[in-house]
Amino acid sequence: MNQINPIYLGLLLVVFLFLSIFKLDEQRTELLEAKQSYKTTQKLTSELKDLKNLYSSKVKIKRELQRILNNPILKASSLVNKFSSSGVKISSKSMDFNALNKLMGKVLNASYNISSMKIKKLSDTKVSLSMEIKW
Amino acid sequence: MTFSKKYKTIFLDVDTPALEKSEKVNIILSPSLYWVKKLTLFVKYVREVKKLLPSIFEDTLTAGNYNYSAYKNPHAVGEETEYFAFAYEDKKIIELLSQKNIPISNVASIRFAQSEMDSLETSYKIDESKSVYVKDDIVVVVPSMWLKESSELDLDSIVLSKHTISLQQFSHIIDPKSLYKIASIIVVLMILVIGELFITKQKTEYVEKQKSLLFSKNGLKSTMFQNKALLKKYKAINKKQTKLRKYIAHILSVRLQGSERLSLLEFKNKILNAKFSGVKKGHAISIESSLKSLLSKNTKIKKVYKNEILSLEISL
Repeated sequence: MNQINPIYLGLLLVVFLFLSIFKLDEQRTELLEAKQSYKTTQKLTSELKDLKNLYSSKVKIKRELQRILNNPILKASSLVNKFSSSGVKISSKSMDFNALNKLMGKVLNASYNISSMKIKKLSDTKVSLSMEIKW
Repeated sequence: MTFSKKYKTIFLDVDTPALEKSEKVNIILSPSLYWVKKLTLFVKYVREVKKLLPSIFEDTLTAGNYNYSAYKNPHAVGEETEYFAFAYEDKKIIELLSQKNIPISNVASIRFAQSEMDSLETSYKIDESKSVYVKDDIVVVVPSMWLKESSELDLDSIVLSKHTISLQQFSHIIDPKSLYKIASIIVVLMILVIGELFITKQKTEYVEKQKSLLFSKNGLKSTMFQNKALLKKYKAINKKQTKLRKYIAHILSVRLQGSERLSLLEFKNKILNAKFSGVKKGHAISIESSLKSLLSKNTKIKKVYKNEILSLEISL
């Protein structure tokens, strides 16, 4: 006829209650961290996506550059374009100022990753150009 | 009828001698340890009677913490529903058991003398001075001297009934009803907390899933470390390209005099080199300071002037 002291039972229930409250608190912290991590990832994703689009979108950059280089003024400048998997090399031993202005105006106003560039004045109307754009 | 003969049966009274040997026993409570009433009630079930007992005994009992029990009178005749109702103090019985050297763990069962001895046809001695006998269907204890003669009581010959009671060992500490209420509140709270825990866990899993979706949808690398490194690389490219365009714009905006010309503009390995030709010695400083005023203070500029050629190397 042994019985368990109800105070012990009560204490046991209280302990279980506190344990579940503690666990809930832990889970809430975990949720908060997960939300923060999600926000950070979302921000990072958005930034990364934008920057990748600007500098690493190979197809897009290639298409845009080809459109620029197909301009009649630039076509007449006998530019040498070497496209590779990592970028493009544009060069001309001698080109017109107007053509250079046209090309550089388009390139500098867009977001291309110019890794090297050399513009040398040859005369009052002519320049030489060598430029490498990477993606 | 319960056949509990494997244990010794003891008649527990205030004057019962203490038990010398530790063994499991069945207890029959002396009428001096409880209050009993024979009632005729128009209720069908014992559980309904039990609810009424506190108010039935209200006027009879002295101050104390009582527990109640009842059973139908097995000898009732006719259609009347007769009950025997009991009130007893658990604490007093437990204390008496302790005094008689009977630990509660050794108690196999407890019954009222009323349920076990109501069929006695004569009086029986329970000790030297007291006897039990049945008067108007109620088992009572009286001094033996009141009776003409009493037989010896052989407890082990009694076939025990099923009317047992359980002692509430801690009813004096906390009322069982209050205990149930408190326990119910705690259990309800626990259910709420566990429910909330479950919901929070589901939410966490949902957020984690959304995060994984972000990774797969946007073709991110498998770890945040790799993605952060990639972002850092692109940020550096963006910073360099923004600076390059800004510095070229500044160089092109420098005011040149008569024969001065920008003869070379070169960018390689984070260095932007601008060469101006036909620059007079005095104006070289002017060009440099004019460019410096446009650039930020931290920008490093290396100046070389030779043969009217001013070379400015700007670190990006």
